Amino acid sequence: MKPLLRSFGIFMYQISRDNMLWAVCIAPLLAAAFFRWGIPHIEILLCEHFQQQAVLSEYYLLFDLFLSLITPYLFCFAAAMVMLTEYDENVTGYMAVTPIGKRGYVLSRLLLPAVISFFASMLLMHFFTLTVWTLWMTTITCLLTSLLNVAIALLVFSFSHNRVEGMAVAKLAGLVMLGLPVPFFLSSGVQYLFSPLPSFWIAKFCVKRDAILLLPAILSSLLWVWLLYRKFEQKLVR
Amino acid sequence: MKVKPLLIQDIKFQYKYGFYFLYLVFSVFYITLLYALPVAWREKAAILMIFSDPAAMGLFFMGAIVLFEKGERVLDSIAVSPAKPYEYMLSKLVSIGVISTVVALVIGFSGGVIANHFYFIAGVFLCSCLFSSVGIILAAKITTLNQFILATIPAQVLINIPAIAYLFGWKPFPLLLHPGVCMIELCENGTNALPAIIILILWVILVAVLAEKAVAKMLRSVGGFKL
Repeated sequence: MKPLLRSFGIFMYQISRDNMLWAVCIAPLLAAAFFRWGIPHIEILLCEHFQQQAVLSEYYLLFDLFLSLITPYLFCFAAAMVMLTEYDENVTGYMAVTPIGKRGYVLSRLLLPAVISFFASMLLMHFFTLTVWTLWMTTITCLLTSLLNVAIALLVFSFSHNRVEGMAVAKLAGLVMLGLPVPFFLSSGVQYLFSPLPSFWIAKFCVKRDAILLLPAILSSLLWVWLLYRKFEQKLVR
Repeated sequence: MKVKPLLIQDIKFQYKYGFYFLYLVFSVFYITLLYALPVAWREKAAILMIFSDPAAMGLFFMGAIVLFEKGERVLDSIAVSPAKPYEYMLSKLVSIGVISTVVALVIGFSGGVIANHFYFIAGVFLCSCLFSSVGIILAAKITTLNQFILATIPAQVLINIPAIAYLFGWKPFPLLLHPGVCMIELCENGTNALPAIIILILWVILVAVLAEKAVAKMLRSVGGFKL
């Protein structure tokens, strides 16, 4: 446990030295404040301009979903960037043969930040959502979005050979979140084209509020994490 | 002039590390998104997409490129080669500018937003050079990717917000002095396109000179001590 915490401490030191720690703490707060107070204000202006009863309010739940995603995304993105730098500088290989080990490395670089971001996300959702959320729904959704972002960080790290490829993959990995707006805009069977994406099932579960949909949401997230963790392990062995 | 071999290597590098593939995927994505939008929104959406992504790709990727070259000691080799700092910088600007322009043309044609080909190509290419130059200035001073990503935020805010406001109708004349606004004016083939291209060229020269100084300083200090 001690090497794990020490490794996590190194990670926290690295991101605080770069000021990224403050950015990942402040940016979700700014975004949350914008969603909570800015969006309803924009809605009033848009309704007046277009002479409509509602323009954005139908999508308030979508804003809430993005809110639940933003904290884990920023934490995991920062973690992925640190891991890419460490890999390029050959630090990762050395870490894996210390008492920290491969699993400890993942735990300290991804799981612990994801756990912290889960609680931070819960807190934000408690104070800043635009729609009504029960504690159960908030917990499950934040858990799923944290898991999704662990998968995204693993994707960025596992499929890139260096920082440059890492940035390209990070940009591409943004498409994994494309599933979130799908249930809001596509009602036909075409929406199921996005079913391999955990984000699609997370949004579907929140829209329908049907516990059955929790199953594909959890399974798809775990499948992504499992597959990408295997790829991650292969990369560390190389 | 060592620009040609540097340019060829930069293009090979960008191809190898997936820039072309990435922007192929994103072009398809953006075009699909354009066709999903109402026709009335298409022109503004296409220009916004071009301005915020392909034109700005230099700012997004330059940190990773320069850090990678530092790590692989490419810069050490360039520092002792006959290549001049401005040639190194020019090669980066042109190689990224080519991708930006091609992707912008594909999105522009698909969205049917290109009214004047010359202004459109010039706007995107010059804006890409501007973003890449800013990226080089920032990348020359940083040591980690996270530092670079944070450093780009003020630059993005300063360049993007006035340009987006202009695109959506806030058009006071003095705003034309802003480089992002000039790019929007050129892509929209606005009535002030001619002054816009001149202003944008001046901006690119100014920022490129600063980038050249940053590269020269960076090349002088590779290897642990300053020459």
